[in-house]
Amino acid sequence: MDIFSDLFMGLSIAITPINLVYLLIGAMVGMIVGVIPGFGPSAGLAILLPVTFGMDPIGAIMMLAAIYYGAMYGGTITSILINTPGESATVASTFDGFPLAKKGRAGPALVMQAVASFVGGTVGVILITILAPMFSQVSRSFGPPEYFLLACMGLLTLIVMIGSSWKLGVISALIGLALGTVGVDLETGQGRYTFGSAELIGGIYFIPIAIGLFGLGELFYAFWSGLHNTGSGSIVQYSKEQRFWPTAQDFISTKWTMVRGSVLGFVVGVIPGAGATIASLMAYSTERSLSKHPERFGKGEMAGLVAPETANNAASSGAMIPLLTLGIPGSASTAVLLAAFMLWGLRPGPLFMSQNPELAWGLIASMYLGNMVLLAISIFAIPLFVQIIKVPYRILGPAVVVICALGTFSVHASFIETYLMFAAGIVGFFMRRFGFSPAALVLALVLGPLAEEALRQTMTISRGSFAIFVQRPASLWIIGITIALLVFLPILGRIGSRAANTEKAGG
Amino acid sequence: MTHFHTTLKAGAVALVAAAPLAVATPVVAQQYPDPGETLDWTIAFGPGGGNDIMARTIVEIINTYDLYPGDIALENRAGGSGAVGWGHLYGQSGSGYGISTTSGSFVTTPLQADTPWDPTDFTPVALLATDDLVLVVNGSSEIQNIDEFISYAQENPVTIAGTGTVNVDFIVPTLFAEAAGFEFEYVSFNSMADQTTALLSESVDAMVGNPGEILGLIDSGDLRALVYSGSSTPEALGDVPTMGDVGHDIGVSMPRGLILPPDAPEEAQQFWIETMQQVVETPEWAEYIATNTLTPTVLYGEEFREFLDRTQTGFGEVLRSVGAIQ
Repeated sequence: MDIFSDLFMGLSIAITPINLVYLLIGAMVGMIVGVIPGFGPSAGLAILLPVTFGMDPIGAIMMLAAIYYGAMYGGTITSILINTPGESATVASTFDGFPLAKKGRAGPALVMQAVASFVGGTVGVILITILAPMFSQVSRSFGPPEYFLLACMGLLTLIVMIGSSWKLGVISALIGLALGTVGVDLETGQGRYTFGSAELIGGIYFIPIAIGLFGLGELFYAFWSGLHNTGSGSIVQYSKEQRFWPTAQDFISTKWTMVRGSVLGFVVGVIPGAGATIASLMAYSTERSLSKHPERFGKGEMAGLVAPETANNAASSGAMIPLLTLGIPGSASTAVLLAAFMLWGLRPGPLFMSQNPELAWGLIASMYLGNMVLLAISIFAIPLFVQIIKVPYRILGPAVVVICALGTFSVHASFIETYLMFAAGIVGFFMRRFGFSPAALVLALVLGPLAEEALRQTMTISRGSFAIFVQRPASLWIIGITIALLVFLPILGRIGSRAANTEKAGG
Repeated sequence: MTHFHTTLKAGAVALVAAAPLAVATPVVAQQYPDPGETLDWTIAFGPGGGNDIMARTIVEIINTYDLYPGDIALENRAGGSGAVGWGHLYGQSGSGYGISTTSGSFVTTPLQADTPWDPTDFTPVALLATDDLVLVVNGSSEIQNIDEFISYAQENPVTIAGTGTVNVDFIVPTLFAEAAGFEFEYVSFNSMADQTTALLSESVDAMVGNPGEILGLIDSGDLRALVYSGSSTPEALGDVPTMGDVGHDIGVSMPRGLILPPDAPEEAQQFWIETMQQVVETPEWAEYIATNTLTPTVLYGEEFREFLDRTQTGFGEVLRSVGAIQ
């Protein structure tokens, strides 16, 4: 158990000047690919991968990994400023991030997201350092029955997500589930609603839908409410007197949110295939159910931004565990990292860390440094980004449309996805106008196909018997946790609101 | 402003200068390749995937040994399981300056979607290797070898995981089970990562997959390799028998080859056949085959077209018989 000597060995490798330069390049590229809506870390990684041919593997992997977790920092910036998620894991950050900006707290929101990202990322790396072998057991106990239960657990969080009107929320979720059925049926291989189009074989990708619903939908709504006519009207409030730095209260009120978000994000990240998107959505709804003031969520509550931000960064660290300990990529981005390992002639798998200690520990050590670098870059860059909100809406609006279209198109060079993004924008406008829940739609679109596929795989494996869900230890654990949450969260919520009421009564 | 004007002028001069050359080109075009033409090399998938690695390896070998005189522009045109990239090549019909590498989707995508092209429409250059599959069980399984697996499967219903249904992952175990006389339930997953997780969590009895991605797990004993679908077992798999060795050869493989647009000039096809004959002799190519655990299988020109035709017909039959495609 000489974790520290391993870690120091890793640090000594990571800290050479040339490797630090690679780390810095990776962090900056990650921020940039994160900021561009649609253009996520996997696309950024894939484009830079050919550049690393012939590079020293340690420097190269440090750079590629920094792009991956750096995108989590950058992705939130547009979520907060223009309600457009920079990438899929930052969808949940729009829920309270954008309302915060609208309230004139864009500066504090951006700083807090950087801090939350740093905390989540760093806690994640600490957990990797200490507990990698233990969590590799978690990664290898998940099969289709567990994925189905996990997806159900995620879908349960819809209850929290659907907002004020449950009827409209349910309809939104059903639209999401319906969209999730498009694509080739995994089991039979038959096309469902693909209309013979090769671009729809893989189903409806969730990024164009999220960008359209949130980014364009918000924009059309602002247009409809006549914001472009109000001379200097900008999409969010801005005044010089407002503070740039978060208040002490912001930190104090979210300290436990950060801890919960980091741990939850990390555990979900460790499960291959679940990833940062699901982690951030789950962290958001967990935090909302635990909050003493659930009614403030969605209206600019700092905890509603901090929870998904710590979770998505912790999850991106967690996803390194199946990659390093089993050679299994948990996400599209880690799949590119795996391809990189194979290109350099390495053999990822359970023996990888013991056979390549310099590389594995160099990478882990670099993640500590990388998160520090990213926090510093974020703090420096935030004053620049905050300028965006001063731009009048009549100029910013068209620019956002172009950025959304370019970002969506750049992912798969698909016209169909770009049209889908615009269609989702129009739908998003009406959803916003009439009180539907775009968040529920997006969550259902992500989890619906996962639940369907996992259930059908499970039924094939068990030959139609539901007993399989109580025969496997991991399944039992998930059922237990779900029941516990269902029973305890309402109780906690009631105690919380009672406490709040007492406070109110007292004060 | 002034600067812009100057550039325009320079452009005009270049145009004028180019004019006499344009008259002379037909004479040069007789010879393939024209060093002035840029070769448009389409990779029908994103960077980092199997197709991308193969294309970049070939281009690197071509550059190292100076096998192509002109510039090569490599471009990833991903989308629609290859439909976008190969559609782009299809659109260059008649040209000798478009080129692309093939992989499994080259055969399966046209079976699944209304692509305007079929694999046999393109001008075949060469089949260079085939992607074959290894059947593995969990390392903790009592099944030690393929004979035990077959006799176990004949007694007990087994589940085998693979990626997708319109895919060699489904076709290979189906044909093998038919030959060896056992039945199984196929469990389809979205990716190699998903199916590996399912096998490690003991949700399924076995899976098929390209050995490259799971060699680490085989080395560590977490997975046990039983049989290989190619004509010869890759060195990295040690003494694992092939399906032919155990008497149930199925003769189905995913083609990794090189194609030109439909109706490409004959001299272009001939040039590339000769070039690839040199490429496959290099040590770099041997290393590529070994690291990616491919089976070196080389066929040139028309023989490659026949191979594609045979593979697609075979796949179509199996998939139609189970109702996966119409």
